[in-house]
Amino acid sequence: MKASVKKKVILLVLASFITLIFLAPNLWMLFGSFKSQNAMFALPPVWIPDFTYIKNFTIMLSQSYTYLLNSIIVTVCSTIVSLVFSLPTAFGLTFFKFKGRFFLADWILSTRMLPPVAAAVPLFILFKYLNLLDSLFALVIVYTAFNIPFAVWVSASFFKKIPYDLIEASRIEGASWFHIFLKIAVPLSKGGIATVAIFVFIFSWNELLIALFFTVSESRTFPIFISAQVSQAQIIWGNVAAATVIQSIPPILLTIFLQKNIVSGLTLGAVKN
Amino acid sequence: MKNEKIEKLLFILPTCLFLLVISIFPFLYSVYLSLFQAKLTKMHKKFFIGWENYQIILFEDDVFPTAIKNTFMIAFSSITIEIILGFIMAKIFFEIRHVKFSNALRTVTIMPIMLTPLCVGLVFLYILNPTLGIFSYILDTFFGIEPFAYLGEPLPAQISIIAINSWQWTPFMMILLLAGLMTVPNEQYEAAKIDGANWFHVMTKIEIPSILSFVLLGVVLRLIECIRLFDIIYITTKGGPGIATEVMAFFTYRTEFRSFQIGTGSASAVIILIISLIVTTIAVTLLRRVEKNEGLS
Repeated sequence: MKASVKKKVILLVLASFITLIFLAPNLWMLFGSFKSQNAMFALPPVWIPDFTYIKNFTIMLSQSYTYLLNSIIVTVCSTIVSLVFSLPTAFGLTFFKFKGRFFLADWILSTRMLPPVAAAVPLFILFKYLNLLDSLFALVIVYTAFNIPFAVWVSASFFKKIPYDLIEASRIEGASWFHIFLKIAVPLSKGGIATVAIFVFIFSWNELLIALFFTVSESRTFPIFISAQVSQAQIIWGNVAAATVIQSIPPILLTIFLQKNIVSGLTLGAVKN
Repeated sequence: MKNEKIEKLLFILPTCLFLLVISIFPFLYSVYLSLFQAKLTKMHKKFFIGWENYQIILFEDDVFPTAIKNTFMIAFSSITIEIILGFIMAKIFFEIRHVKFSNALRTVTIMPIMLTPLCVGLVFLYILNPTLGIFSYILDTFFGIEPFAYLGEPLPAQISIIAINSWQWTPFMMILLLAGLMTVPNEQYEAAKIDGANWFHVMTKIEIPSILSFVLLGVVLRLIECIRLFDIIYITTKGGPGIATEVMAFFTYRTEFRSFQIGTGSASAVIILIISLIVTTIAVTLLRRVEKNEGLS
């Protein structure tokens, strides 16, 4: 008995050490966001900064609130639009027994795996032609397209947990597919849909490449604003740290909600928990 | 009956049309553009040159071949590190899975996966900064190693990129393999105990065989991510020093949006596309097989 307790303690210490490796760099950045330019360059380093020094945050927020707002609008809109497109499709691929549905599902999945950089210039030209370049609308459309395949596959993996008898019984009672989708499938998969929504939200929130191609001034997203901070001649590291902290808040908070479903989501529904 | 068909179509068709226009059309258009000499700034003046763009980037210039090589070097190194460390971490967290506190530790450990890659790059840019970075300070104070621009020398820059990439994704491999370890039936462990098998035996004969499909899934998914590696390179090294950390996606971006050469840029995009398609085919087959077996659970 004693030996096993001792083993547990050692393992727990090891696990804590591992956790520290993945936490410390972020924590150091967080501490940096409370440092003035002088404190940044101090030697030996200022280990614990003055947490009442919030100038970095006020400067960054006052310079960037429009970009932050852009990011929020694009992320929220593309999350909603992705779900509006994906959920019915996932439902159809799960419950309609038509020929070629496996092929269709595979095709949808494969579009997820294509590299966005290969689509960037054609989409740039398309949106330039439509006069929609440098608009939030264009970003919403592209992010939605990139997220639909993921959302379809992962929601389908949750719809599959619904007993088919339940669907069949409602069909016999004369319920329309639309009714079954809205009144049975969606309510029963609430947790799964929330997982999909969180993932799609984070993917859109984190996106950099397409935003670099598409946004010139007005529709710049927050990541574009942050990367511009580093290309200046003199980098104000406190500001960069503050901006990084702001950008990191949504992913960190949302990951806590994902908990058990995170493996399932990251493997496109392949691993069930 | 006819109504039902229309109803069913309404569920599926909009998504397919959407994907055709925004996902499939662009890839085909890239193939088309790759056969032209064209500048993004003077699109009306493009002219057909056939395979010449491919000739240029693949054989006449060594930047893109280096980018391909670097991409796979980074992918191979990072994924190997992620599997080894991920497995060790999964084992540790598996052993303490019943301890309440371990859940909190695990949640904090997997945070990097979901962090904005741009931010991950910035965190390390800050840490590795030669004048104010904590890494320099520690090396200098405790090991007496003079600070230098770690991202300014070829080998240290490559190692840094691999380290940053692995730091962000080892937790992914960990939770994937942890899910794999959970599937090992308890009886097998007990039988091994009775037989007096040591830990090495348990690992090689019981654990590794049953998590192999999880490892494979992880490798394929990570490979797809590595092929499109961009954000971290963009914010830390910009492909430098020289072309030491140049990768395929970054090369394409630079060619298309810094030099505006969309002909050669599209050619490199198409090559990335072809490589991705090969990996994707493997991935889709694998995921479909897993799917048919009612998931890895």
